[in-house]
Amino acid sequence: MTAATLAYGVYGSRPRPAMGRAAALSALVHLALVGVLFLGVRFQNSPPATVTVELWDQPPPPPRVEEKPPAPPPKPAPEPEPEPQVKKPDIALKEKPKPKPKPKPEPKRDLAFEKQLREQAMLEQKRLDDARREREMRELIARQQAAARDKALRTWTDKIRDKIRGNIILPQDIPGNPEAIFDVTLLPSGEVLTVRKGKSSGHAGYDDAVERAIMKSSPLPLPDDRTLFQRRLELKFRPQDR
Amino acid sequence: MPTVTQDLDIWTLVVHASFVVKIVLAVLVAVSFMSWMFIFQKWFVLRRSLNQTLKFEREFWGGQDLNALYQGAVNHRHTIGSLERVFEAGYREFAKLRSQTGTHAADMVDGARRAMRATFQREMDFLERHLSFLASTGSVSPYVGLFGTVWGIMHAFRSLANVQQATLAQVAPGIAEALVATAIGLFAAIPAVVAYNRYSHDVDRLGNRFESFMEEFSNILHRQAVR
Repeated sequence: MTAATLAYGVYGSRPRPAMGRAAALSALVHLALVGVLFLGVRFQNSPPATVTVELWDQPPPPPRVEEKPPAPPPKPAPEPEPEPQVKKPDIALKEKPKPKPKPKPEPKRDLAFEKQLREQAMLEQKRLDDARREREMRELIARQQAAARDKALRTWTDKIRDKIRGNIILPQDIPGNPEAIFDVTLLPSGEVLTVRKGKSSGHAGYDDAVERAIMKSSPLPLPDDRTLFQRRLELKFRPQDR
Repeated sequence: MPTVTQDLDIWTLVVHASFVVKIVLAVLVAVSFMSWMFIFQKWFVLRRSLNQTLKFEREFWGGQDLNALYQGAVNHRHTIGSLERVFEAGYREFAKLRSQTGTHAADMVDGARRAMRATFQREMDFLERHLSFLASTGSVSPYVGLFGTVWGIMHAFRSLANVQQATLAQVAPGIAEALVATAIGLFAAIPAVVAYNRYSHDVDRLGNRFESFMEEFSNILHRQAVR
């Protein structure tokens, strides 16, 4: 065994330098990759949804509070001039000194009353405002709920129409893009009970094709929210909307 | 109101993938981890080796006494770089041969050369270690990923056979799942290929340096032996 092999010991058992650091860095790289994948890659898969745009009026401006100009404080009554004191005569006359005239309490009472009135008016106004705001809020929420329900319902009917549309075998010669309306009665399981033509498209072949497609599509998809289920649906079809 | 959109993020894709695809993904992630580990480790090793080589060359050509250099190398045997090891092996053999009487100068230099050559091979082996792993990762992991993808797509299409009406929505998630395998395979392969090319070039350059040093050192030894 030469000294050179002593330097490394047996062939190949030379220590692997910096392996721990390298492993830590490698883990870091993969964590970064995972982070990028999770944050960056997000596919959205949504069924064709109807776009509903609701144009709402601006809520009516709050009715102007008629502000009464605050009543000018009543002028304090001029104080009665103190009577000139009569010099007391040396000889005491049994006479009581006149009581000093009190300043009239009237103006003060008046002020307090005014204040009270104003406060009351303000309270009243506030209560009215609160009630009105609450009412508006409730209306707004109700409207939003109705809109959401409407949208969910439309999503459901869209899903149904998608399924049916896939089963329609279009006849070759349809003039224009006529609309056919069908009334469909459903069982709660989604199966089609009856199909009734509400309005013909004017092309018998197309009407028949749609009717056959509806029957073939049974059971129809159910809404995500079961409370939306309706037994009767009115479905509209046009040959060219895809 | 129930949400009508469903998110397809990476995690759901991986979870829904079939068993074979999951195995492929696991293998690829493990390979990618090891390949990155070797990339970093080789980077440290090669940078250190280059620094040590430059330092030793400066010392050697700085006019130091060969004996002092040899003693220094022997004393720091575990921390010295490759070039210094080559020098140490050559000089040790040369000193041994010189201490024997009646050895020709040419034989002394030849012996030193052989010793240096042996150490050189060993050092090159050390520097090149794991490079072949990077090479095979670079060439094989895209195929492994492709295999996972093909398998996943086969599955996706098989589920299509049961329905009458084929839509893109029925195959798209399966295909997306399958493509994740290719993505990870490429992620493992690309850095490995780049690193392999870079590092094998670096190792070649270091080897050239060592070889020219060996030639020059042989000349010096020859001069000493003749004297």
